[in-house]
Amino acid sequence: MTSKKGQEEMVGFAIIMVIIAVIIIILLSFMLNFSEDETIENYEIENFLQAVLQYTTNCESRADYLSLQELITYCREGKDCLNEEDPCKMLNETLIEIMGASWNVNENSAVRGYLFKVTVGDGEMFVLRMGNVTTNYKGAFQDFAKGANDYEARMDVYYD
Amino acid sequence: MVKKLLNKKGQLKIQQMIFVLIAVTLLFVFVGIFFLSIKLNTLKKTASNLEEEEAKLLVSKLANSPEFSCGYSFGSGRTSCVDFDKVMALKSMKEDYSGFWGIAKIEIRKIFPDETGECDSSNYPNCGLVTILDKEINTGPATSNYVILCRKDSNDRVIYDKCELAVLLVSSEDKE
Repeated sequence: MTSKKGQEEMVGFAIIMVIIAVIIIILLSFMLNFSEDETIENYEIENFLQAVLQYTTNCESRADYLSLQELITYCREGKDCLNEEDPCKMLNETLIEIMGASWNVNENSAVRGYLFKVTVGDGEMFVLRMGNVTTNYKGAFQDFAKGANDYEARMDVYYD
Repeated sequence: MVKKLLNKKGQLKIQQMIFVLIAVTLLFVFVGIFFLSIKLNTLKKTASNLEEEEAKLLVSKLANSPEFSCGYSFGSGRTSCVDFDKVMALKSMKEDYSGFWGIAKIEIRKIFPDETGECDSSNYPNCGLVTILDKEINTGPATSNYVILCRKDSNDRVIYDKCELAVLLVSSEDKE
């Protein structure tokens, strides 16, 4: 009789523990959902990306000088600038200079690193990485198309 | 005697139940506090992010206003594009526009290429800073956003659009 009562109590305790565990799991899943919502599309970075793509480079074409966006497509299509500069080399150099002038990446700054990536379709075309990757980051992307190709320029900035 | 013993046992059971209930309630309270503190933290973060975004949107609105924007002068559909010639003209009419935006200070600073010096008719376009408005009063921290600063340029062959990377800085009056 006593052992049966003891068993009943153990079962009751186990049920309570299970209920508590389920509630904790539900709460945790809620909290995880909150942090997922925080994957931030940042307005400042979006503006920066828009501005950078419109920057006039030194690559001369027939009519004028190419914007950085046009330079990306020139690099992809293997075309040359009129002033015999290599578009891919110029793209790399220009972006390194622009990013260096715009985002101060060092130990004392809030910005710990960044990633600038251009993809065409599903393939990566250009990647520029600087500093460290952290979990606190903001990002933005810009889509554009030329001919049959769909381009996406993406930028993530990592903060401390 | 038996009745008394049973009563005591029942009381013990009730006590046991009360303890379990208190323990479970406390657990729920602690979990609730933990959850609420995390939620509050997230809310604070979101609020400050939104505040920052709003300030940047205001700057962007200014950059896209007719007094600053490129319009269709440099091809179609450029966003956050500031016409360098327009802002130079605005700069020369500082007094007329001093109350127009309700802002204490508006500056455009070139980021790339890196150039220095306040822009005027003698060094335009090879300069780094255009102060469009400065009421010379105490201002709060500046809000900035990236823009592209465009003008017409020419070489020996063609006239072309030259766009450089800049940042538009806006400061309001510090009322504290």
